[in-house]
Amino acid sequence: MSTELSLLERARRQTGMSHGELWFRYFELGGMSSALELEAYLYDALSPTTHERDLVATALNERFSELGGDHPVPYSDDLDEVVP
Amino acid sequence: MGATFDREGPGARSASDVWERPAVAESAAVEPEAAEVVPSFDLITRFLPDSVVVAVRGEIDLLTAPALGGVVAALMDRGHLDLVLDLAELDFMDAQGLGVLAAVRARLQSTTGSLAIRSPSDALRRVLDIAAMTDLVEIRSVRAEASALGAEQRSDAPAAAGAASPPKPADDSQAVLAALPVATDLVDAALRLVTALTRATVGGADGVSVSLTRHGQLTTVAASDETIAQMDRDQYATGEGPCLAAASEGHWFHVESLADEVRWPQFIPRAAAGGIASILSSPLVVGGRSLGALNIYSNRERAFGPQDQELAALFASHASDILAEARQDVTADEMGRRLRDALGTREVIAQAQGVLMAREGCSAESSYGALRQSSKRAGITVRDQAVAILATVDAVARGLPIAKVTS
Repeated sequence: MSTELSLLERARRQTGMSHGELWFRYFELGGMSSALELEAYLYDALSPTTHERDLVATALNERFSELGGDHPVPYSDDLDEVVP
Repeated sequence: MGATFDREGPGARSASDVWERPAVAESAAVEPEAAEVVPSFDLITRFLPDSVVVAVRGEIDLLTAPALGGVVAALMDRGHLDLVLDLAELDFMDAQGLGVLAAVRARLQSTTGSLAIRSPSDALRRVLDIAAMTDLVEIRSVRAEASALGAEQRSDAPAAAGAASPPKPADDSQAVLAALPVATDLVDAALRLVTALTRATVGGADGVSVSLTRHGQLTTVAASDETIAQMDRDQYATGEGPCLAAASEGHWFHVESLADEVRWPQFIPRAAAGGIASILSSPLVVGGRSLGALNIYSNRERAFGPQDQELAALFASHASDILAEARQDVTADEMGRRLRDALGTREVIAQAQGVLMAREGCSAESSYGALRQSSKRAGITVRDQAVAILATVDAVARGLPIAKVTS
């Protein structure tokens, strides 16, 4: 397990959302993983499927949008990687 | 899976001359092979004098929608054209279910019959709204439901689409929920009880009140008589007094004799003028925070001895427990609401995916990608994009001109 923060976890901290709030938004979008599994994804302790990862990215990006920003978290079909 | 309705005799009979009382009857399942794979799904059909109520329990989806469609079609074939679909215990319905509803409505259009949907969940209401089917939802007066519960009426009513219906049976879960007091009412009722018990039990108590901080302000939520209600008001008006002090500082305040009291010079004379000679205020503490006070007054000086003070503290802790539980219920209630809304959003997104999959012939994951990309391009959320897609489908179905939707 890496000691560096994952991209997703860094993004979550930037949005100011709690793990619970992130899970809720991810769940609203159709996410199928439990809150515990989501936390494991964020800390690179468990690998999500591509689809589930895209859902987490969507939940984060929609929060960034609410805060007036862009969609910094990349999706699986994005060609350019943008580091938040 | 169980789909049940009575097997009628060979001759065609009208509902009214056969069924003298409501009956739930048995018949063969529509799809026995599917029974092993289908999750909990139940249809219970009740024949009433003027209508047939089909109650659905569980989920209507790809596997179970045909069963519902079959039962309803069979009913209509036998001349039962006034149908009520009770969805109070429906957990989930997707586009397949909507398809069944649309087909039933279409078939009833050329008849004198009617279809009404009873007790849809909020999420289902949203889906019906998107599918332009909210006109099917039975309009039910909440007050009528509450009074029906009290009167214990057992008769059901025909439900023509859009018509207001008379009070409904007491066994309808929705009526029970509507008749229950809201969380705040329950708390206030419990506190009124504590107030009455305190007054009856604490020696020397002539009046008891409970004041709580609500919306940032201390207010009296229970009072045994007008004297103590006025005493509370005097404290709110002057901004001082033992009750205010107990509520704000979180420990008890005892005025053994108003005549000898030097604290609260604005408030004390007013209370004395009302005939009050001693006051005991105990704080209501939840989670280390003081939320209000239990107040007791007496027309006699030094009315509250050590035993009375102990009793007052006991009742105050009872009142605090009530508040603590109520706060938990509120949070659980809010969480329940949020989860329910989240389920509704998931349904909408899943249906939009279905539309895209049918339209583009793609997989579920690709459809989600398309949904996500088009929502990003339009600068809206995935959910709003899903709603827009379903609205377009509805517009097409109704032959309306479509607003350009990026998809």
